[in-house]
Amino acid sequence: MRLLFDRGTILVDPPNAMGASDLPGVLWDQRVLALRAPAWRYPAVRAQALASGVNLRNEVRPRDRGPTGPWRPIGLRPYQEEALAAWLGAGQRGLVVLPTGSGKTRVAMAAIQRTGLHALCLVPTRVLLHQWQAALTPFCAGAVGRLGDGIRKVAPVTVSTYESAIRLMPSLGSAFDLLIVDEAHNFGGTLREEVLEMSIAPSRLGLTATPIEEGPALARLEELLGPTVYRRSIADLAGRWLSRFEIVTVEIDLEEDERRSWEEDMGTFRPFFREFRRCSPGGAWEDFARVASRTGEGRRALCAWRRARRLLAFTHGKAEAVGDILARHRDGRILVFTADNETAYAISREHLIMPLTCDIGREEREDALSRFRDGRLRALVSCRVLNEGLDVPDADIAVVVGGTGGEREHVQRVGRLLRPAEGKTAIVYELVARGTSEVWQAMKRRRGLGSAVAAPV
Amino acid sequence: MVPLSLLRYDVRDREVTPVWLGPHDHGWLRGLLDEYERFVGRPRWELRRRLSEPLPVEGSSWRIDVARDVLDGLWPLEVGGQVRPRVARAMLFDEAARGLVGTRDELIARVAGGLGIEPDVLREALFADLPGQRRLAALEPPISPLELELRSNLAIAQSILFRASAVRIELAGRARDVVRYAKLRGLVCTVLPGDDHDAAVLEISGPLALFRRTLAYGRALASVLPRLSWCHRFVLRADCLLDELPRTLVLRSGDPIFPASEPIAFDSRLEKRFARELAAAAPDWDVIREPEAVPAAGTLIFPDFAVQHRIRPERRWLIEIAGFWTPDYLVGKLRRLREARLENLILCIDEERNCAAEDLPAGARVVRYRKRVHPTAILAILEERQPSLHPMARRSETMLP
Repeated sequence: MRLLFDRGTILVDPPNAMGASDLPGVLWDQRVLALRAPAWRYPAVRAQALASGVNLRNEVRPRDRGPTGPWRPIGLRPYQEEALAAWLGAGQRGLVVLPTGSGKTRVAMAAIQRTGLHALCLVPTRVLLHQWQAALTPFCAGAVGRLGDGIRKVAPVTVSTYESAIRLMPSLGSAFDLLIVDEAHNFGGTLREEVLEMSIAPSRLGLTATPIEEGPALARLEELLGPTVYRRSIADLAGRWLSRFEIVTVEIDLEEDERRSWEEDMGTFRPFFREFRRCSPGGAWEDFARVASRTGEGRRALCAWRRARRLLAFTHGKAEAVGDILARHRDGRILVFTADNETAYAISREHLIMPLTCDIGREEREDALSRFRDGRLRALVSCRVLNEGLDVPDADIAVVVGGTGGEREHVQRVGRLLRPAEGKTAIVYELVARGTSEVWQAMKRRRGLGSAVAAPV
Repeated sequence: MVPLSLLRYDVRDREVTPVWLGPHDHGWLRGLLDEYERFVGRPRWELRRRLSEPLPVEGSSWRIDVARDVLDGLWPLEVGGQVRPRVARAMLFDEAARGLVGTRDELIARVAGGLGIEPDVLREALFADLPGQRRLAALEPPISPLELELRSNLAIAQSILFRASAVRIELAGRARDVVRYAKLRGLVCTVLPGDDHDAAVLEISGPLALFRRTLAYGRALASVLPRLSWCHRFVLRADCLLDELPRTLVLRSGDPIFPASEPIAFDSRLEKRFARELAAAAPDWDVIREPEAVPAAGTLIFPDFAVQHRIRPERRWLIEIAGFWTPDYLVGKLRRLREARLENLILCIDEERNCAAEDLPAGARVVRYRKRVHPTAILAILEERQPSLHPMARRSETMLP
């Protein structure tokens, strides 16, 4: 019996071989007259074929491209060692949940080193692509491949953006034995999970600071990556391995003309939205947008909502507060988070702070981070680029001017400040327009920080 | 891709027919084009802000949003200013971070002076390269409301097709181009003969489609659509998932969709090289690319080349370069060739697939290749006597390295 890799699937040949059609996940493909299984079932297919005693010619793997490394020693903190041991003990499959800034990348690098397997590291953004490559290079003396941001270089250890992996997995799905999935909460119940389905890798490690909730998406993620094998929260690590922090919520009044304009727009939006809620209880925002776009009244309601949101994103009061905080922490290292890029640029113009947005090119972003690291820049302003995974050095003040209200975003943002330092207590300022939906949004998103906020340190 | 919330379609018995833009939309399409032209030379964010308010000529918002999506993809942008924005940012923000005395305006004036420009020029240059700040350039050649209508309709149809897992196309004429294109996109394409001599039925999906209603091939499937305009007529049925419900999108020739440009002569580097090298190695033979499809035992075979002797045109061979194959596939294919009495077809198979010689059926005129189809291997067969109806004895001659 032969096993072949074909564009994200495994072909079993010949189809009439003894026991071939009973192999796990295998179906008859009339299109090409062959038996086929999705690639992620390869370990089970191979195990059963070997157990049944057939003479197996395994042609799934491409020619060996040599070992990974050599590696230099990677020092781990005690909880990182525990996480790695838990993953190894779980058969080299599973999800490790650790807060932002606690060194998840290091756990992953140690996993690659200890297993010696050819590894593909999947990351959500181009910024993280370069960050992972930079993190791997000092420890892995061998070549580190890169898929994404215009480069297609495959090596025994390769870093890829999710998007490149979706395109390339049909040809590269058999080249790696270990998948590292950074920010794994982005998978599960989405098209992206097909990246995991098209890979034969028996060993899989998911990393996240904010796991997804119980439900079908988590169940699918656990099927493809393995169960949660290790979990520590911010509260578990704050104080010793993560910095202490406090959250200061600043409620800011709208100016009279702002209040009038906001009330007017919300007065246009609310009745239509209430009616939608009455007719479709539990309907998603996307459903509302679709319903609203069908009528003139609905379109006006949507336009009004957009205007109101834009107004709250950066009120006059917020602009003044940002100035005050920047002045108060003249010697601090400050990150400013906004709801949209437009506000990031407005703050950048007003306070002459470097913006880090998706519009700024990679080289310039890296240059800005480097200047922030060595102190030539003391503040950065960003909408989303700083949210997820980016290794920002030694910031101690965050100003949340606006956001989505999502817990995950907030946890990621606060995590930017938690790199520990002697005597450091980070401060997160939340600017909230009083008497608006921002008040409950701020309450809601703080829940994601859990006991770390309930009992401030 | 147009978001699902913008798409409009009629559903009858699970069959989906998109709501198209038509001539009745040309009024507001003209108005939209006028707005884009009016903002030429100004930053894109200004246009966006303008378009968040209603147009002078009333149009439904989903149609406007679809057309805007199309125009944003087409309309060229440029970066203005006398100084490179990245240089302006680095100098100004570094200077500001040094915490020197002076107001913001004084600081800007100081940096601008160092660059030899006015403060306002520096302010303008600061973000002039960002997508929202780039200025609209003139669109050349200008686009008409009709073209915008057709491009918008193509975007609508493709956005539904992005959610497709498999496609069945009945078509007449140019089937080869569509099959070739589908294979180049990594899709699995089976071909059946249609009712007429030039008709065919294509079933296109991806390998993973066997296991799940995958949308992984949606982009590739959607990209086939504009190519159907190469055919005389077609009916496309796509299995889609819309709002979590299984639907069948039906499109046919005559639907108001923007067509793709004509296919290029050679899409595969392998085939291009082979044609060039064979023509050079066999000066007495004419290399004809993409000859007529040949019906064979219930399916259609699309030879990649016909090679015909210049003096004795009855000496004619067909060549097909196969990418994907398994021994079973090969056995089935060669059986069909025999049944169709197509003994003059040479099948070139990829050695990378590492099929052992004993797996191949006896008598197959098969040339293995690795990276490159060697013209001398083909020439050795061409220079034999005229193809006989009994090629079973030729195996050793045709199993060339």
